[in-house]
Amino acid sequence: MERKNKDLIYASIIWFVLTFVGEMLLPSWRFIASPPYSIEGELIDEAFNLLLVLGFPVFTFVLVALFYSIFRYRVKEDDLSEDGPALHGSTSVWLTWLIVTGLLAVIVLIHPGFTGVSELRSNPTADMVVQIEGQQWNWTFTYPEYDITIDKADTLVLPVDTRIRFEVSSVDVIHSFWVPAFRMKIDAVPGLTTTMYLTVTETGTFEENPNLRVQCAELCGTGHARMRASVEVVTAEEFAAWVEAMQANAP
Amino acid sequence: MSWIKGILFGVVGYLAGYWLSISLGVERGTEAPFAIGYVFFFAGWLLGAGVWDHWARSWFGLENKTPPTKESHGWKRYFMFSTDHKVIGVQYLVTFALIFFLAGAFAMAFRYELMRPGRDWLSPKEFNTVMSTHGILMIAVAVSAIIGAFGNFVMPIQIGAEDMAFPRINALSYWTTPPVVFLILGANLLQGADYGFDFGWTAYPPLSTVAGLGKLFFLLAFMTLGLSSILGALNILITVIRLRAPGMTWGRLPIFTWGVFTTSFLSLIFTQFVFTGLFMVVLDRVAGTAFFAPDQGGGALLYENIFWIYSHPAVYVMIIPGFAIMLEILPTFARKPLYGYKWAIGGFFGIVAMSATVWAHHMFTSGMPDWMTVPFMAATEFISIPTGIIFLSALGTIWMGKLRLKTPMLFALAVVFNFLIGGLTGIFNADVATDLQLHDTYWVVGHFHYTIVGGEIFALFAGIYYWFPKITGRMFNEKLGKLHFWWMFLGFQAVFLPMFWLGYNGMNRRIADYIPELAGTNMWVSASAFLLGASFLVFIYNVVNSWVRGPQAANNPWGARTLEWQIESPPIEHNFHQIPTVTGHPYDYGVEGSVHAVLAPQAEAAD
Ligand SMILES: [Cu+2]
Ligand SMILES: [Cu+2]
Repeated sequence: MERKNKDLIYASIIWFVLTFVGEMLLPSWRFIASPPYSIEGELIDEAFNLLLVLGFPVFTFVLVALFYSIFRYRVKEDDLSEDGPALHGSTSVWLTWLIVTGLLAVIVLIHPGFTGVSELRSNPTADMVVQIEGQQWNWTFTYPEYDITIDKADTLVLPVDTRIRFEVSSVDVIHSFWVPAFRMKIDAVPGLTTTMYLTVTETGTFEENPNLRVQCAELCGTGHARMRASVEVVTAEEFAAWVEAMQANAP
Repeated sequence: MSWIKGILFGVVGYLAGYWLSISLGVERGTEAPFAIGYVFFFAGWLLGAGVWDHWARSWFGLENKTPPTKESHGWKRYFMFSTDHKVIGVQYLVTFALIFFLAGAFAMAFRYELMRPGRDWLSPKEFNTVMSTHGILMIAVAVSAIIGAFGNFVMPIQIGAEDMAFPRINALSYWTTPPVVFLILGANLLQGADYGFDFGWTAYPPLSTVAGLGKLFFLLAFMTLGLSSILGALNILITVIRLRAPGMTWGRLPIFTWGVFTTSFLSLIFTQFVFTGLFMVVLDRVAGTAFFAPDQGGGALLYENIFWIYSHPAVYVMIIPGFAIMLEILPTFARKPLYGYKWAIGGFFGIVAMSATVWAHHMFTSGMPDWMTVPFMAATEFISIPTGIIFLSALGTIWMGKLRLKTPMLFALAVVFNFLIGGLTGIFNADVATDLQLHDTYWVVGHFHYTIVGGEIFALFAGIYYWFPKITGRMFNEKLGKLHFWWMFLGFQAVFLPMFWLGYNGMNRRIADYIPELAGTNMWVSASAFLLGASFLVFIYNVVNSWVRGPQAANNPWGARTLEWQIESPPIEHNFHQIPTVTGHPYDYGVEGSVHAVLAPQAEAAD
């Protein structure tokens, strides 16, 4: 009994220290290599970091229990002389465990779970519409308000600080419209129009950040990997100029 | 030889089916004659392999052949039709080990292509087929290997039975699996427009309804695999319910048997969904229906729902037997009772029940209604609760134990470590917000390899080392076993850990090419993948060498308490000299005077 308590105390201290140090270091860990270019992307990065923070104590708990046991209780490999104590776990241990794991599940379900869905997927207003059409293996971008359609486009031009509704569809198989820098994707399903809302917050080009690209994310056949287009986020003035130039060039 | 006769009869059947369908007016040049031909191939293969002998011979008043035994046919019986559950178990084990290595070789092939950005040696179409082949073959291994091998060899002995409830159906479910491999490899050998299948293992229409015979082969293969699963599950359920030895109450059932039993509910119920979904795709292809053709009023999303109603429970068909092996091995090598035995069983049932309610978490970005993501997110978060029970059971078992770090124990402990990472990274996929970024990226690839390879396949190897002396009667080389473990374990971490980073930072999955910025990490992953692949050479050498000339194994080399360790290694035909009487709990290590079962005296290490 005495040894059992000692081990519990030691393991708890190691767990606490490890968790504490880890949680202090986590914020400076640059897992996410490039900045989000949208309000929604920021929310998603925050949700990601929050889940890291919440998951870390669980990670260290199992790790410490596992490695403490391995190092502390190891005996000679062929030593069958002695059995360990016949522990079965009292009901209170099990109920505590269920409550803790249950509570953790409820917490992440509420935030960032419910909050994430309501922030990202439940506000159907937009300043501007861009229609995205996938086909094997390129994209067509249409700006209905400006009468601009770009077939087999290699660049998607977007104005900064504008809430955009992407109306996404496909003419053949299922594709997926993904801009890694915006942290969002939505499938392009034949026979359906799916939507995705985004407010881009920073100007930039594919050359500056390769995650500023449209990438098909749903396997769609031979050309899937290269079904890409670059994304260019420009200021409102630059966008107006681009629209004008496009309209002037139209047949 | 069942294999040669099976192939011969199969080819004859195929030609007959093809000819029959043409002469009945089915249009030549369409896929229909091939599909019908395959049904006849399948029937012919089973006939040739001997699956129908018992019935067919008695219809024609012929005498039945005596089944092959160790005495009459030696090792050759493993290549013949047999209804002995131990022979079938070995057949499953070896067949699926070979499929595992084959699927691994396909992974090596596409990791070579992905070593550098740009095209090296596979065309994008070849890449897609090679990657998809890796996927579906590994799915076959993950669904069938543990259940087929140890569910057959070990489970009946653990419950004190002489064989499975339906030995001939058992054989049928094994002999159903080789055509799966024939079809998948066949699709890889076809030429031109018929070559391969380029839709992963998920086969979403409309991509999977595009013309090309290879795609049809894939669909028929997957359906055949499903048939095998259903038959196997039915047999296991009945066996556990009906054939337990006297005294083997539900509260004394070994945890591995519990795992196989609960898994079989999932296989039996949910495999029918994927079979139906695939069948509808086949109908769209060969019969002109339009279930999934949006331009004719069909719905592409419908398939995704049907598919995942099976394929999410399927991941638990894979992992519960993995958990079960882990929980079976930990008490033996920790010399302690399984911690919270009844809770762990509750955990299995909890997972089984809840796994039916989470499928659309694979569809958060599919365009399904936004509000519908919420219940599926909730159900997915809550399934972590029964999974957590399994973890506490594992940790409680090793806590204060007498840990003997033999090879099977190392693999079992690695399951805890790997599944910890696999499980925690799954939370990011369950969360709708983060999944919008992570879905269909390398994050997901990392996640499911940590759960299925890190969890189940490590458990499979734990089981192979654990039961090797029982199955073969010989001992493997412990040093080589440990070498294999550390090599595989470290190689595995090196391959799959960086994938989480790749996924969040812009690499989607199933791509033949990627942006040059990701080149460094991909080079590392590919190099590590070759290293991981090479670790299995140690395993193969050790297993083959030990099977042929390893030292004689004792009946109970690990000092385990379950029934399979109380009989000879290898066990005699029908396992027991006399049906044992079960008198106590299987994991009462450290409990004075507790006896699991009373058996007739056994011969120790014959000859
Ligand atoms: Cu695409
Ligand atoms: Cu799932």
